[in-house]
Amino acid sequence: MSRVAIIGVGQTHHQRRRADVNVPGLVREAAQRALADAKLEMSDIDSVVVASGPVLFAAVNQPEKWVVDALGARGKPVVRITSGGGTGFAGALGGYYQVAGGQADRVLVVAYDKLSEGALQASISSLYDPFWGREFAVGIMGFSAAYWRARMDKLGHTEEAAARVVVKNLSNARMNPYAHVRKTVTVDDVLKSAPLAWPIKLLDVPPISDGAAAVVLTREDLAAQHTNTPAFIRGIAYCAEADNAPQRSMLMSEPLAHAARVVYRASGITNPRRQFDVVELQEPYSCFELSYYESLGLCPPGGAAELIASGATEMGGDIPVNPSGGCQGANPIGAAGLIRLVEAAMQVTGRAGEHQVPGARLAAAQTGGGWANLRGLAVVSAD
Amino acid sequence: MSFQGSQPVAIVATAQTQWRATWSQAQHIDLIAAAVQNALKGSGLDIRDVDFVIDSGSDVLDGRSISNCGFLGAMGAHHKEESRVEDDGLWAAQYGVAKIASGSAQVGLIIAYSKPSESDVSQYYRTMADPFIQRPVGLDEESACGLQAQRYLHAHQLTPADLAEVTVAAWRKASSNPTVELDQVPSVSQVLASPMVASPLTQAMMARPVDGAVVMVLANASVARRVTTAPVWVKGIGAAMDSSVFAMRDAQFDVCRQAAQRAYARAGLSAAQMDLAETSATSAAAELMTLEALGLAEPGKAIDLFRQGRDAGINASGGALPANPIMATGLVRLSEAAQALWGQRTSSAKNSRRAVVHASSGIAAQSHCVFVVEVERP
Repeated sequence: MSRVAIIGVGQTHHQRRRADVNVPGLVREAAQRALADAKLEMSDIDSVVVASGPVLFAAVNQPEKWVVDALGARGKPVVRITSGGGTGFAGALGGYYQVAGGQADRVLVVAYDKLSEGALQASISSLYDPFWGREFAVGIMGFSAAYWRARMDKLGHTEEAAARVVVKNLSNARMNPYAHVRKTVTVDDVLKSAPLAWPIKLLDVPPISDGAAAVVLTREDLAAQHTNTPAFIRGIAYCAEADNAPQRSMLMSEPLAHAARVVYRASGITNPRRQFDVVELQEPYSCFELSYYESLGLCPPGGAAELIASGATEMGGDIPVNPSGGCQGANPIGAAGLIRLVEAAMQVTGRAGEHQVPGARLAAAQTGGGWANLRGLAVVSAD
Repeated sequence: MSFQGSQPVAIVATAQTQWRATWSQAQHIDLIAAAVQNALKGSGLDIRDVDFVIDSGSDVLDGRSISNCGFLGAMGAHHKEESRVEDDGLWAAQYGVAKIASGSAQVGLIIAYSKPSESDVSQYYRTMADPFIQRPVGLDEESACGLQAQRYLHAHQLTPADLAEVTVAAWRKASSNPTVELDQVPSVSQVLASPMVASPLTQAMMARPVDGAVVMVLANASVARRVTTAPVWVKGIGAAMDSSVFAMRDAQFDVCRQAAQRAYARAGLSAAQMDLAETSATSAAAELMTLEALGLAEPGKAIDLFRQGRDAGINASGGALPANPIMATGLVRLSEAAQALWGQRTSSAKNSRRAVVHASSGIAAQSHCVFVVEVERP
C-alpha cells in the first residue's frame, strides 16, 4: 500500500453567518484554496468526495449533486460521505482509501456546513430513535451533559476543568485567522455563564458557524510533483460503537480508544504524550476535550483534569492541544473534522502562521460524531 | 490510474430480504439484521472476521439525522470501522473495494436498505433540487423523467407502447425472482392505461419503491480463496456525475457512458464481453437509455433487445422497475449479478461469466456508478 500525502489544504474564514455566498459558493471557496495550495486545477482531479453534516441541517437532500457544478466537477466521480459531526474527517478517510486502493491518483475532499440556514438542535434531535428517545431529546446537549456529569461524579472532575479548556482554546483562536470567535474569557466567566443543560453552560458550547475546508490527497510517489511540503497520513481510522451497547461507558470514549489502538499500531506511536508535537481535537463541548485526552493516552484514565490544570496542553506546553482554537474558535460542524486534519497538516509542514507550534513534525487529528459513538483519529507527519 | 499494485477484491457472499411494497411488521433494524445474518450464514465467516462496515442509506427517507448511528448494532458495526455513503449502495461497495484493495482490511460488509413505505418519496427527490432555481418550478423525479423520456422517444421514433413492452418484460422476469414480492404481471395495455404521471410515462412505467435490505460480503484474495471456490472478482469500477442543472444535461446519458467506459477500461474488457447486465433505472425510458450508455446497444436500439428476444441476460432479476429500494437498488443489482454468476438464479443463462452492474442516483439519474465483475469457476 502506497502512503497517502496531503498536498493541498484550504479553509474559509469561518463566520457566524456568510450572507455573501450560498452553499455551492462556500464549498467552491475552500476547494479553490486547496487546489491553489496544491498548484492544481480541477481538471487534474480524478475524484471528488463531498462531506457535510446531516442533510436536515440545510434541507437540501444529497447536496453533493447541487455543488457539483460550482466545483467544476461535472463528469467526475462525486460521492458524499456522511457521519454526523465527524463527517469531514470521514470524507477524508474515504478519499484516503480511493488513493490507497488505487481508484484515483488525486482526490479532492471538501467538507462544509452552513449552519446559519437551518434549525440545528432540532435537526440533531431527530437522531434519536423515533419510538424511544425522541420525545425527550434535547439536541445533543442533554446527552453530553449526562456524559460529563458521570465523569464529574466518578472521577471528581470539576466544572472548572472544562472551563480551562474553553479559556485555552479561545486564547489560541485569537491567533488563528480562520477562527471567527475572538474573545478573551476567564475561568470565572465560563463558570458564571448561563447554564443550558447543567453542567454545560453557555461558554462551554462552541459557536455555530458557516464554513468549509478542503484537502487534496495523492500517492506518496506523486506528492513531490506538487509541493515541497507534503504532509503524510501515517495512520487513520474511524470507529463505531453501537448506541445501545449495554457495556457502553460514559467515562471513556471506547470507539476513540479503539481507533487510537489501530492508528498507533500503524504509525508506530508508543508514547503519544512524548511523541506528538501537537494535537487537534474536535470538542463539541468543552468537557469532551478532557475525555479525549484520556482515550488518546495523553494522560492516564481519569487524569485529564490534572493535565489541563498543568498547562501542558497550552501553547508553550509540552503537548499543545488545539492551537487553532478547536471548535471553540469556529464550528461549521460538517467541516470541523476535516479542519482538524487541515490544521494538523499545516502544523507539521510549518505553515500554521501565528498559531504554529515551533518545530512540529508529528501531529494527531481527532474527530467525533453521532451520539458520541463515532470517533476517528489520524496521525500526520512531515516525513 | 489503475488497480495496478493494489489487492484484488472479491464478492464472497450476499443476502437480501424479500423486497416488498411494505414491510409493515419489521423495523429498519430488523431488515438490516436479517440480511447481515443471512449473508454471513454459511459463508465460512462470522461477524468477528469482519473488519469494517460501509453502509448506505438516506437520512431523508429514514426521517432521522445520522440514521446510520441508530443502526450500528443491527449492522454488526459495534467497535468496528464504519462509514456511511449517502448514495446508492453501489457507491458504498466502491468504498469497500478501495479499502480492501489498499491492503488495510481483509473482510468488509456493504449494507444498503430502504423503507420508502414510511417516507414521502416525492419529497426525497424534490429536496434534491436546488432551492433557488429548479425547486421553485417544481422539478422532481417524475417531471424530469417525463421530459427525459419524451426527448428520448422523439429522437428515436419510439412510442409509449415500446416503454410498456420494456415494463412488462421487467415485471415478467421479476415474477420468477423469489426475492421480489409482486401480485401479478401487468399487460402492455394495463401499463399504458395506468395513471399518467408525466407524459409519456404512466405510473406503471416508473420504478416501484419497495422495502428491504441487502448485504454484500467483500474479501481480499487470501480470504476469498479460503471461503469459496467461485469468488466473483471486482474487475473494474467507474463513476461520473452530471450537472445539477437538468436543462444542461446531456440527452444521451453521457455521464453513464463515461462511468461505463472507466469501468470497462479498468477491467480490460468490453461491453461485448458481458454476459449479464443489471441496471438501475427509475423509468422504462431510462432503462433503455442506460443499456445504450453501457454499450449493450447502439443509441436508440436498446428496444431491439426486447423486440428480438435478446434480453435474457438483461436484468434477469427483473431489475429496478418492479423493485426499486431507493438507495439500495444498485447494490441489489450487484447481489443479483453475483448470485446469477454463481448459478443460484434459475433464470440466469448457463455459463455466464461476466456482468456489468449499474447504479444511478439523483433526479433523473444525475449520477452513475458501474461495476464490471467476473466469476472464477472452480
